Amino acid sequence: MELPENLNKDSNGYESAEKIILRWDSTASEDARERMIFETDRQEADLYLQAVDEIQRSLSNVSISTSSNAGKNANAVDDQSKVNTTIQIAMARLEDEFRNILITHSSALETDSLFDPSSSSISTPSHHELEEDDTLSNDDSSHHDLLQLQLQHCESSDSSTYRSTSSIREVDLMPSEAICDLQAIAMRMISSGYLRECIQVYGSVRKSAIDSSFRKLGIEKLSIGDVQRLEWEALESKIRRWIRAAKVCVRILFASEKKLCEQIFECVGTDIDDACFMETVKGPAIQLFNFAEAISISRRSPEKLFKILDLHDALMDLLPDIEAVFDSKSSDSIRVQAAEILSRLAEAARGILSEFESAVLREPSRVPVPGGTIHPLTRYVMNYISLISDYKQTLIELIISKPSTGSRYSGDQTTPDMEFAELEGKTPLALHLIWIIVVLQFNLDGKSKHYRDASLAHLFIMNNVHYIVQKVKGSPELREMIGDDYLRKLTGKFRQAATSYQRATWVSVLYCLRDEGLHVSGSFSSGVSKSALRERFKTFNAMFEEVHRTQATWLIPDTQLREELRISISEKLIPAYRSFLGRFRSHIESGRHPENYIKYSVEDLETAVLDFFEGYPVSQHLRKRSQ
Amino acid sequence: MDTQEQELEDIELFQKHVSDRFTELSSPPEDDALLSVSWLHRLLDVFLCCEAEFEAILIMDRDPSQLSKPPFDRLIPEFIERAVKALDICNAVANGVDSVRHCQKLSEIVISALDQNPLGDGHAKRAKKALLMLLSAMNLDDKEGTHVKATERSWSFGRRGVNKEQIAGHFRSLSWQVAKNWSSAKQIQSMIYNLVAPRGAEASGLPSPIYTMNVIMIFVMWALVAAIPCQERNGLPTHFPVPKQLNWAHSLIGLQEKIADEWKKKEKKGMSGLLDELQKMEKLAQSLIDFTDSFHFPGDAEKVKEAAANVSELKEIFGRMDQGLTPLQMHIREVFHRIVRSRTEFLDVLEKGSAPVL
Repeated sequence: MELPENLNKDSNGYESAEKIILRWDSTASEDARERMIFETDRQEADLYLQAVDEIQRSLSNVSISTSSNAGKNANAVDDQSKVNTTIQIAMARLEDEFRNILITHSSALETDSLFDPSSSSISTPSHHELEEDDTLSNDDSSHHDLLQLQLQHCESSDSSTYRSTSSIREVDLMPSEAICDLQAIAMRMISSGYLRECIQVYGSVRKSAIDSSFRKLGIEKLSIGDVQRLEWEALESKIRRWIRAAKVCVRILFASEKKLCEQIFECVGTDIDDACFMETVKGPAIQLFNFAEAISISRRSPEKLFKILDLHDALMDLLPDIEAVFDSKSSDSIRVQAAEILSRLAEAARGILSEFESAVLREPSRVPVPGGTIHPLTRYVMNYISLISDYKQTLIELIISKPSTGSRYSGDQTTPDMEFAELEGKTPLALHLIWIIVVLQFNLDGKSKHYRDASLAHLFIMNNVHYIVQKVKGSPELREMIGDDYLRKLTGKFRQAATSYQRATWVSVLYCLRDEGLHVSGSFSSGVSKSALRERFKTFNAMFEEVHRTQATWLIPDTQLREELRISISEKLIPAYRSFLGRFRSHIESGRHPENYIKYSVEDLETAVLDFFEGYPVSQHLRKRSQ
Repeated sequence: MDTQEQELEDIELFQKHVSDRFTELSSPPEDDALLSVSWLHRLLDVFLCCEAEFEAILIMDRDPSQLSKPPFDRLIPEFIERAVKALDICNAVANGVDSVRHCQKLSEIVISALDQNPLGDGHAKRAKKALLMLLSAMNLDDKEGTHVKATERSWSFGRRGVNKEQIAGHFRSLSWQVAKNWSSAKQIQSMIYNLVAPRGAEASGLPSPIYTMNVIMIFVMWALVAAIPCQERNGLPTHFPVPKQLNWAHSLIGLQEKIADEWKKKEKKGMSGLLDELQKMEKLAQSLIDFTDSFHFPGDAEKVKEAAANVSELKEIFGRMDQGLTPLQMHIREVFHRIVRSRTEFLDVLEKGSAPVL
């Protein structure tokens, strides 16, 4: 047990230490205010620290002696007060020095350290460009609001900015000498009971460094209201930027801050460096995640699906690193928030898909597409699900329930059926895709009824279902999910439509070329009624002309399909006409004005068929050709 | 009883519950002062209960197409708009709680400095420094990251031996996480905008609980903003256009007027939050700073005793903050989640009842 006498024995050491401390009292001298110890020279700094240590030693000596001689020695109490004062002066000084060293070495993260030359560019499946069919006429867009939706997703290759950061990579935020100094100061402050001041200073300086880094990374402070009001296109580029920035923040910025705290407070225990780290990083981390959160709760609409999936995937990828960096109890809320956002994004994706299905079913445009060609809805939907199949990897995990196929919709609308039995073994995602195609067809069937001409209605269905089939065949992922069984069903449907078309148009035309009703029994001519025959020719001509005139303006965009249908028509028409001509032309030619009745040669008809489904009106020069 | 009657009954019951809950809030027990941390917890609970009942009435078992017809085609989107504003306020207030925690930590320094026997000059100086920071923090101008208005106040820094630059730099780091031009006062103002009580036939139908819930949401957000410092509270409205005849609204209006009075009083002196603990802390800090300013070892025995009493009170407030602030942030987060969910439900309802946009 030390006696007060010992204090006097060490008084030289104590006194010289006290002198040093007092010399650097910034409240007492101008000079002390102007200069910083740790910027002056190594020796000054070391001397000062030694002085502080000396004073601290004295303090514990005095405390021990006071407690053992409580009340007996007034001097001891005085001494204690004096020592306390000196400590306070030292601590205030050290706090300033601490702050100064921090400020000197606290600037925004250098962009160099943000480059990750080893990693390649962003690995999200976002290099997609949707097809823009150039056969889309302008007339369509006016009554189809659905085309406001832009489905272009060109990933801009701005390689001049930050490359992808694929794993935690701590950088040195400060030179090691500075860290040593900070460590030395922190130790003294903490052992004197000035921990809280230390944390305050540390947090305030480092936080503003992070703020500048944030600005450099382009991280904005947007309110939820702002995000809801912005156009989705604008948000898409913000999301892209956020994804890049978040990777840098979590893997480099925050990780490095954590390492810095650990280094500076190495000797004093993990609770303290946790506290400093959270003091510094909590606010910025919340600010960062608030943006993703705002996106995750935005109103759902189909065009948002893919960027939301990108964001989901990025966050999913980042989650293990978030958990590694924010591993203390005090950072629970940050981990929890990240997980909440992830789950909301998943929910949003599901919700959007569901809304999309519902929207496809109820898409109400009634104006028939001219020429029976491919409806913009068909294009849009097929492009959309092609893109979905590109995001198959993520969506297969997210889409876990079957499509809802019924009562959800308002009562007076019938909804299509889907037999789930025959679709055993398909993933829920595949079921959704098939359902979307089912629903699309259902809608198209409804639209086809607005055509006054039944033939055109069939053509319309044929065109559109054929397009669906082509799109499915054109995407291996899509084809694999839809499955060849259903594909066969679809193929059957458009072939059926082709057949229905032919029946609707050509039955009555070919009816003119039938045998029955032309032969009259018991007459003196070769048994053919000339008047009836003339009627037949006239009717055939008129009908054919009408059909030719009309159906030339109809359109089958797919070359092969167009050819096939024309060939199919020709196969029925030409032989029938040829045979009819062969059998009956002599009867007409033996009468007056045969040219009024036999207007067309077989070749004329063959040529005329080539006009069909081109989408252009034809002039009436048809008659003159063969003359 | 047919559905119409059942609905009317449900609405009446809902409003009775609202009235009861706010009456309870108006007469808090002794240690649960108005706008204290624990009172705020109760306020948030009241919100959650009312909201749950509200959702049950509006959405459960209801045909969505009903809610897309007038006047709901206006009322529901308006409610959703207000919900978004409330979400931003939740975030801002949660952020603001961090600044209260900052005060809590500064007070911890004060406590550990002054909780000494015997008290030395060094202790007093340390406490004084922390007290200056504390008082400045509490009177922080809500404006985004700008310097302290308080530097112009009576206690000058130079005289008290604290570096002005330090203080200013310190506060720059306490910048809010919210958007630059975002103003909590304006948010509240725009939530109040267009808030009109239903009249005539509407007053006895569904528009009535919608109006009630709107008022509750606005009141809760408003009270939070008044209590907890957050960005730009200048110009916070002090009057709600809620008709006094509404039975369920009496207690709520009473509370609102009480809080508004406090706000008007404090507005003149500075922008510190009305949080009970903050107010008490401020008073204690004021008297303690006078004490530390005039202290010379060994100090006047009476004054030292008084200071010790103040410190002990400060300790108690510190304790309440230490216990209550993190749970408060979590509670606000819970409210945030509930509002998000409610908004999603209503958006769903709107979507089902309307034409699709592809």
